[in-house]
Amino acid sequence: MMHCTMDDLLALQAGEASAWARSHAEVCAACRAELDALYQRVAQLKALPTRRPPRDRWPVVRDAVLARRRRRSRWGAWSVAAAATVAGLLVFRPFGTGQANAADLASIKRESATLEQQLERYDPDARVMSGRAAAVAAALEDRIAVIDGELARFGPPDAQPRPAELVKLWQQRVDLMQQLVGVHVTRAAYVGL
Amino acid sequence: MTISLAVPDILVARAKSGDLEALEALYRAFETPVYSLALRMLRSPEDAEDVLQETFLEVVRSIKQYRGEGHLWGWIRQIAASKALMRIRRNQVRATEELHEEAAAGPGGSGVPARVDLERAFERLSETSRAVVWLHDVEGYTHEEIAEQMGRTVSFSKSQLARAHARLRGMLEDEGAAS
Repeated sequence: MMHCTMDDLLALQAGEASAWARSHAEVCAACRAELDALYQRVAQLKALPTRRPPRDRWPVVRDAVLARRRRRSRWGAWSVAAAATVAGLLVFRPFGTGQANAADLASIKRESATLEQQLERYDPDARVMSGRAAAVAAALEDRIAVIDGELARFGPPDAQPRPAELVKLWQQRVDLMQQLVGVHVTRAAYVGL
Repeated sequence: MTISLAVPDILVARAKSGDLEALEALYRAFETPVYSLALRMLRSPEDAEDVLQETFLEVVRSIKQYRGEGHLWGWIRQIAASKALMRIRRNQVRATEELHEEAAAGPGGSGVPARVDLERAFERLSETSRAVVWLHDVEGYTHEEIAEQMGRTVSFSKSQLARAHARLRGMLEDEGAAS
């Protein structure tokens, strides 16, 4: 005897089953039991407890929001030199005997400032983009904002230095900004700007 | 998971104006449902935390576009599900997922309540299967909505759901036999 498949049972549950499945389920105790078990599984899934996040992520979100606001403000009004100065104030610290190369860090920060300058040309608040490009740009901006938030959380310049981590964060920032510039360049080329 | 969180309009209006306190209040109201949704869809708590963070970054950026149509939770849930599905796509190596399922699908312990058995069995599914089951069976998404969110076809969503339920059924049967 042929029984209902899982597809049939799900269709029965959704009220979309074939005439054969409906009439078969009426007379077949085994398939009715399978259908009951399906209903029970779904009910049990719905009853699974909610889970609380183990850590509070709001400080990261808040810092990213604040960093993005600062960055937008820079894009709108500041020169590259001012942006570089702020970046320097944000993260400058003596390295002491740390392994990271201060020259490398300075170089990365210069690259970051150059990218900021490039981004200014694309006027992020007045851009016209496809939905997909806008989503990619927004995701990149979010990730940059999170890194800016982390940089800001390094503390005052005289705090305990963590140069390797600092260089890594700046490098990530530069990589993301390069991708963001790429999105804008592609968009500009596409629309002939 | 049934969520019935009522958020005052004034709070949403303040959040739209960029008020950080209001945005934090929204975060506090929805952090648990968002994290729970992400955790059910994804394998790792770390990924779920990242989805929580990405979701609220998006909420903060896009709250001005929320027009108050439907429940705010529905809007935030849509963002969270989308972020979780993006992460699944990023993580996804189908062959690896299959291996995870096979490797994890051993017999369970005995004498545990049915809910725990089901939860454990559910956790053994691939991320794609988990996402489809959770969005369809618990969050009430249609196959059309799931297909659109996943960038796949309706028949893909339906076959994933059937396959996942067949696996759940099999795993629970194994557990029953072992106890």
